[in-house]
Amino acid sequence: MMSSGSFSLRTRPVAGLALGWLLLLLIVGLLAPWLPLSPTTPDLLLVAAPPATGSGHYLGTDALGRDVLAGLVAGAQRLVLLTLPAVALATLLGTLAGAAAGFWGNQRLRLPIAAGGWVLVAAWWGLRLPGTAFLCILLGIATALTLLTWRVARHPAARRRYTCALPLDSLVLGIITLLGSVPRLLLLVALAAGPPLTTGQLLALLTLLAWPETARLVRGQMHWVRAQPFIEAAQASGLPMSRIWWRHALPHACRPLLAFGPLSLAGLVGLESSLAFLGIGQGPDVVSWGSQLASVRHDTTAWWAAVFPGLALLLTLLALQKLAVLASPATNK
Amino acid sequence: MWGWLFGRLARAAGVAWLITSLVFIVSRQLPGGPDQLVVADLSELGRPVAADQSVASQQAARLAVRRRLGLELPVFYVTHRANQWYWHGPANQYHRWAVAVLHGDLGRSYRDGQPVGALLWQALRFTLPLAASAAGLAAGLALGLGLYLARRPGSPGARLLVGLLNGLQITPLFLVALGLLLLFANPDLLNLLPAAVQTPTEDGGQLLAYWLGRAALPLVSLVLAVLPELTLPLAAALRHEATTGYATTARAKGLPLGQVLRRHALPNALLPLLTTLTDLLPALVAGTVVVEVLFAFPGSGRLLAEAAAAHDYPLVVAGVLLTALARLLGLLLADILYFLIDPRLRPS
Amino acid sequence: MNYFWLGSLLTLLVSACSAPPAKQASSPITIRWSRDPSTLDPLALPNPSAIDAANLLHMALLATDFQANKYAPALAQTLPQVRVLADSLTALDYELRQAATWDDGRPVLATDVDFTLKLLHCPGLPNEGNRAQYGFIREVRLDPVNPRRFTLVCRGRGEEIMIASGDFPILPESALDPAHTLRYLPLAKLQAWPAARPPAPAVAALVQRYRQANLAREPSHLPGCGPYRLTAWDTNHQLRFRRKAHWWADKVQSAPPVLQARPQELVFAVLPDDDATALALRRHEIDVYPQVPARIFQQLQASPKARAEFAFYSQPSYDILTAGFNTRRPILRDKRVRQALSCLFDPAGLSTATQLGQGRRTVGLLPPGSPFYNDSLSLPSLAPDRAMTLLRQAGWQRRADGHWWQPGATHPLALSVRYRTEETTFATTALQFQAAAARIGITVTLLPAESSALTTALQAGDFDVYVRLLKGSPLGFNFATFLHSSTIGNGNLTGFSTPLTDHLLLAIPAEGDARRKRLLLRRLQVVLRDEMPLLPLFYLPTRLVVNRQLQHVVPSGLKPGYALTALSWSDAATPLANSQ
Repeated sequence: MMSSGSFSLRTRPVAGLALGWLLLLLIVGLLAPWLPLSPTTPDLLLVAAPPATGSGHYLGTDALGRDVLAGLVAGAQRLVLLTLPAVALATLLGTLAGAAAGFWGNQRLRLPIAAGGWVLVAAWWGLRLPGTAFLCILLGIATALTLLTWRVARHPAARRRYTCALPLDSLVLGIITLLGSVPRLLLLVALAAGPPLTTGQLLALLTLLAWPETARLVRGQMHWVRAQPFIEAAQASGLPMSRIWWRHALPHACRPLLAFGPLSLAGLVGLESSLAFLGIGQGPDVVSWGSQLASVRHDTTAWWAAVFPGLALLLTLLALQKLAVLASPATNK
Repeated sequence: MWGWLFGRLARAAGVAWLITSLVFIVSRQLPGGPDQLVVADLSELGRPVAADQSVASQQAARLAVRRRLGLELPVFYVTHRANQWYWHGPANQYHRWAVAVLHGDLGRSYRDGQPVGALLWQALRFTLPLAASAAGLAAGLALGLGLYLARRPGSPGARLLVGLLNGLQITPLFLVALGLLLLFANPDLLNLLPAAVQTPTEDGGQLLAYWLGRAALPLVSLVLAVLPELTLPLAAALRHEATTGYATTARAKGLPLGQVLRRHALPNALLPLLTTLTDLLPALVAGTVVVEVLFAFPGSGRLLAEAAAAHDYPLVVAGVLLTALARLLGLLLADILYFLIDPRLRPS
Repeated sequence: MNYFWLGSLLTLLVSACSAPPAKQASSPITIRWSRDPSTLDPLALPNPSAIDAANLLHMALLATDFQANKYAPALAQTLPQVRVLADSLTALDYELRQAATWDDGRPVLATDVDFTLKLLHCPGLPNEGNRAQYGFIREVRLDPVNPRRFTLVCRGRGEEIMIASGDFPILPESALDPAHTLRYLPLAKLQAWPAARPPAPAVAALVQRYRQANLAREPSHLPGCGPYRLTAWDTNHQLRFRRKAHWWADKVQSAPPVLQARPQELVFAVLPDDDATALALRRHEIDVYPQVPARIFQQLQASPKARAEFAFYSQPSYDILTAGFNTRRPILRDKRVRQALSCLFDPAGLSTATQLGQGRRTVGLLPPGSPFYNDSLSLPSLAPDRAMTLLRQAGWQRRADGHWWQPGATHPLALSVRYRTEETTFATTALQFQAAAARIGITVTLLPAESSALTTALQAGDFDVYVRLLKGSPLGFNFATFLHSSTIGNGNLTGFSTPLTDHLLLAIPAEGDARRKRLLLRRLQVVLRDEMPLLPLFYLPTRLVVNRQLQHVVPSGLKPGYALTALSWSDAATPLANSQ
């Protein structure tokens, strides 16, 4: 599998298939609103009916009487418009947070000491805490600190004295832990109490729940990258740290993502499925592949309700993995 | 190293405390609450109702519940109402809880008045062995399968295995568990589970054997659920390592590929595996609700899920505290393991 | 460790695949519970499992006779004598059975009933639900001559008062209050005790003793006069109850059904999942599976082997699948709009889709078999054309965009439906309504929610339409709890009330004459049909599957769906003839 040369569809029929499937998905997903299929109208006389051509349900119906084929199309739309963007956002957020935490750790990123004062001022104002006089004093201190550090900023040695370390690593790990330790059910009960989630909120929720894993993976890899000789060499050559991070360390730290990214798509669909399983997020009138997988829970004999979306999901996952392997620099040498 | 370890532990404890405090405060802001459940249940239970159904009597009953559970106090030292801050002093729920926890008392469950620590321990006796052996088994299998996949990429066996693992990855845990249940505990197909009609009443070997039999399918479903996530990235990392310079050199010196992978590539490729594996640590205490529900396993996942549904805050908060601690220890453990595998990764 | 697990798995596999052992009369009967009772405190009883257990451990004055679906005397000798007093008060004269004794041989006396009622009103105990439930009992008058006779003076009139007055488990005074300190505190004084005032010293001491007994987990600390005692409780796994060797009711001549307790040992297996329960039943790990969902029932019946091993029962229950309209919403204030929307539900199709066609359709809040059922009304059915006519009559117009507008309105007609998530019946109903409404141009949003969030939203009036179960009972006609104006914000979720219905709702329970009662009830059904605050779709069936070797199976539409203590293993090892 590492034998081939450059990327070309003609020499790689499997890759062509993979790309074709993803394109098909994209087209179906974007065209779904105009297709004459109704994924949410229940057929009360044919509940959990097996696939048959005569009934008009070519892939059968699920335990609520919804057409599986129409659900597949609606699910493709949701995948294209919601899940894939969520994966992309979560990967981006996770990579940046994890890479920054792994690279700078708790000590290496130093901020001017005045920044602390400004954060305090912002928090005081944002929470509308009482004591306007105290707020003014804080404001004054922060301004003074800023002016002071700005004055001495020309001497690097002095500048170092007026900075404080930002515990970036602890901050990121703390947020990850916070997101990981709140019981899902409690979170969902809290969410379900409010109005139903809009697509934007759902996107934010999925991103929020998915990024920590990516962040941890990249953080772990970044620890390893940081210890590599080429980083030391770059530092010795006097490059600014942010540039080393962005240009040299980040690409290496992202390597596990090629294998992990497609899996995180599956993870998110799984998350949607467990949201549907718990009946939270969106109602049964919003169909996704994940909620279709969950619907088999209502009737275990209706295997077709889970097998078809499962197959579609598997194909998507395999296609993405194939493309990830092709895009990986190591295998294209 | 010891100073670092101590610092990390202290910080972990602090973060865990912060998280738990946050959950403590937020959970009490949720609508509903234990007082509402007591009132709502009346009409739901199919008992003859001659009760006074007026709103006033309902309010009185709810107030009585809040008073009994100590929920009528303010939640925190300060509250924010109508753009004004109010200071309550130590007569608040958080202060009382914090003082009690520092004295080793996690509180009592709202539902049956039992100490939360005892309830959690009872459930952990089932969850801990199950989840720990699942994690161990899955890690061992992932190592073996990862090495196999890296040694023979492209062979029919490896392709089949990758397909299977991907199939498993997209299958939600409840489907895996349900599938196993319908396949192996079904008198119409294969009825492999012991037909233990009754739980043995006396302690001892019989009871242990009974629970081992009950744990077999949950164990397999947990292993299958985490296996793809552990194996696929490991195999990818091993393949990558096999193309690097040092591996080529080693091969040129005549080492067989398997040995190169095991001896030289594996330590470098192990990082992602360790990350994912230590991610599983919180599941040891939080349990996995789906598996416990399907296999009727009396573990901590079900306990905490039911507590959350019933607004049993003391139990939920104690569960969060334990989970947060486990997660932070997992993070710490991952960093220590990174260091042990590659001493260059000295923690900051 | 891994090899240890695998090894033990293999050893167990060898021992598997054995036939279920033949049952003897003393074999335990295993019953499925979907959840752990979580507390067995006789004052709390927050869920059906806890109520089942309390019925084994304790006895009440009255109990359900599942054979007749009626309340029958249990600790009481007979049903109480009802005397109407002034000021809408009712006096109920009870007499306890001569034979009734506690385990230590002391008789069950009127003072025990008095004590229990006072315990239900002690502050600081988990009895808040019961305080509201039994607040209508204002006074206990003990008979000065006969220690077993007493009179309950109750507020209100009607049959529910009589039934509900005997529904709480009686607790022994001697065990909790040996010094009789509570006897000198009248019940009314305890009920009227201000919440802010500290409790009387006697009450405080009693509450302290009660808490120390830890009855939530250790019911054996307070032996009741029921036929069973708890022998083991593994939380979230199983509970075991053993029959007392000497129970007082064994001495009662020709004991009525409520005083029979045949099983020697009862085991309740806590199995939260229905698919797993069906498999456990097939593997003979459980013998009784009550409240079977429709699809599981169908699957089990489809298997020839299961049909040979189990008996299947389906009974109409008293739970009605109901859609309700929030009459406080401006668009739903007009009854013609509510009538129009009610024409968009398809009860017949929904019964077919969700209940195997076994749902019993009804015109109102009474079951079709009832003598008070108004058969002059037609059954509600799907009629989109009629819905459009009604909407037009109510002043709505359908515009070119297909939506319905009122003159001067800024939004077209659009609604949201709230329902509980777990149940597919609700989801299917909501989807059907949504599809039918979409066809005539009404946008419907579905808002499923978890149970407690749903209750909060409904009680706050934050909904347009709800779909939920209305728990009915054959034992009374107390519709005031969810239709009367005084319960708006609590039981009355739709916010509906008219002076006429308020009058009818109060007159019906108080009416003693059957003919006049029938007229009032028929009138109520007509008015409700016209006003349409809620639409009863159909009565749900309750399904039961039991091991064929069990005899004396008494299925019932009342909770828990069968007579638990009547069951016993048949002596013949061969399966019985098909008794379906």
